Amino acid sequence: MTSRFASAAEMMSRVLGMPDYRFATIGHPVSSATDDDLKAMARMAIEQGRPLLVKP
Amino acid sequence: MTFRVLDPTPEKAPPVGQLAPRLATLQGKTIGFISNGKEGTKGFFAHLDRMLREEHGVAKVVSRTKSNYSAPVDAHIAAEIRNWDAVISGIGD
Amino acid sequence: MHLASRTYDIDDFWAVQELFHANGWTDGLPIVPPTQEAVSACLEWAMADPAQLVGIEPVRGVAITAEKLAINAVMAGCLPMHFPVVLTTFAAMLRPDFLLHGATASTGGCAVLIVVNGPIRLELGAAGAFNALGNSDRATAVIGRAIRLCLINLMDVRPGAIDRSTLGHPGKFSYCVAEDEEDTTWLSLAEQRGIPKEASAVTVMAAGAPRQIMNEWTTRPEEILETFAAEMRANLRHYSIHPGNYALIIPKQLREHLQAAKWSKTDIANFIHERARIHRREWAEVGKGAVVRDRGDSVYPAMESPDQLLVVAAGGPAGGFGAVIPPWLGNKSHAVTVPIGACIDCEPPKK
Repeated sequence: MTSRFASAAEMMSRVLGMPDYRFATIGHPVSSATDDDLKAMARMAIEQGRPLLVKP
Repeated sequence: MTFRVLDPTPEKAPPVGQLAPRLATLQGKTIGFISNGKEGTKGFFAHLDRMLREEHGVAKVVSRTKSNYSAPVDAHIAAEIRNWDAVISGIGD
Repeated sequence: MHLASRTYDIDDFWAVQELFHANGWTDGLPIVPPTQEAVSACLEWAMADPAQLVGIEPVRGVAITAEKLAINAVMAGCLPMHFPVVLTTFAAMLRPDFLLHGATASTGGCAVLIVVNGPIRLELGAAGAFNALGNSDRATAVIGRAIRLCLINLMDVRPGAIDRSTLGHPGKFSYCVAEDEEDTTWLSLAEQRGIPKEASAVTVMAAGAPRQIMNEWTTRPEEILETFAAEMRANLRHYSIHPGNYALIIPKQLREHLQAAKWSKTDIANFIHERARIHRREWAEVGKGAVVRDRGDSVYPAMESPDQLLVVAAGGPAGGFGAVIPPWLGNKSHAVTVPIGACIDCEPPKK
C-alpha cells in the first residue's frame, strides 16, 4: 500500500473480517515518482513483502 | 425525558476470509501482479518483476491490470489466481 | 413491528446527541433521535418489512435492510412520507452500474446527486424553484441528508476511513433536487430515461459540485447552450478528461428561450454532445503539459453519447443562470433511474 492509503487498507482488513492482515507500505505518491523512486519502492515492497509471503 | 434509540449501524459481523498457506520459498514460483493501472504502476511493477526473477529465483511473473481502477478486480483475472503461487496487489495513487 | 436493532436508553435529548456524535454516527449536525415509534412509522408508510433486504453492497458484502435505512432517515429529519424516496434512492445506488463503493471511497470526493421526478414531489412539497440547488425545501433537504447518513453509518463512509475524499464538496451534506415539471414543456428527466409520466422516480448520479454559468445576453439556443458547453470544456481541462454523465440545471429564464425555439431535451443533448469536447493539447494551457505527450491531437468528448446528458428543469423564475454538474470521474459510475413504488411481491409487514 502507498503510505497515504495504509489506514484505508487497515480499515478494509477489519471490515472484511481479517483485522490482522499484514501488508507492505511503500512511499506515496506513485503517480509522480521518478523511475529511481519506483525502483526504490519496488525494493522496499520486496523487503517488507517477502517475509509476509514466505514461511520463516 | 428519556429516549430509547436504535443503533444506526449494521451490527452484523462481516464474512471472514482466510489467509492462504505461506510459501516455503520463492524459488521456481509463479507470481501474479494485479495492478490498478494508474500512472507510475508500469514502472513500479517492471522493477518488481525484474527483482523477483533476478534476485529471488521466481520462475514466472504474470502481469494483469484491472479494467477499472475504482472497481474490484475483473472476474476473469480473479479466476486466474488459482494458477499462481502468490499474488501481489495493492492500494495506491 | 419487530425491530432487530440494538437499543440504547438515554436520559435526555442532549445526551443522545453526544452519544451519536461520539460514535461517529452523524454528519456533524444534530440528529433526530431514532426511536422505535419513528422508525416503525417510516417502515409502515413504505409498507416495508424491517428485515427487507434492499440490497447488498458487493465490494464489502454489506447487507442493507429497510430497518437500517429507516433509522438513518429518521435521524436526518425524514417524516414517514419521505422514506419511500430514501429507500428507492439507496436501492438505485446499490445497482452495480452505480459503483457505490468506488464513488464514495474515492479521493475524487463526489456526492450523490438525487433528482426526484413525478407526482411524489407535489405530495412532499419538494420545490424545484427558488434555490433549487441549495436549501429549497424540507423534503429535498432531509432526503439528501438521509442518504449521507446511510453512507456514513451503513458503509463506514467517514472521512479518513473508507471516505478518502481529498476535498469533497458541500453536496455531501445534502444534494437533492426536485425537477420543476409543472413550469416546463419538456419531458421530465425520468421520462427521458424511460419512466412513464404517472410514476414517480429518482435518478442518482455520482457528482461533483455545481459550476454556475450565466448568460442573460441572448435568446438564441445555440448561444445559451454554448455557455453550458464551455463550462463542460473547462471541466475537461481543469478536472478530468474522461467522458460520463453530466447534469445541466436549467432555470425558467433560460428554459423559456429554449422552449420558445422548440428545442427539446434531446435537441439540447445532441448540441451539447457536439460542442463539449476538447483536444488533449489544451491540457498544456492549464499546467498539465506533462501528460500531453504525443497525443495532443486526440479529441475528448465530455460524453460518449448524447443520452449521458441529464437535463433538469429547476431553479427560480428570474436569473439567466444555469449549472453544470460534472461526473465524479468519467463513466466509472453510471447514473441510475429507478421508479418509486410499493413492493408488489412482498407480503405486508407482520404485526
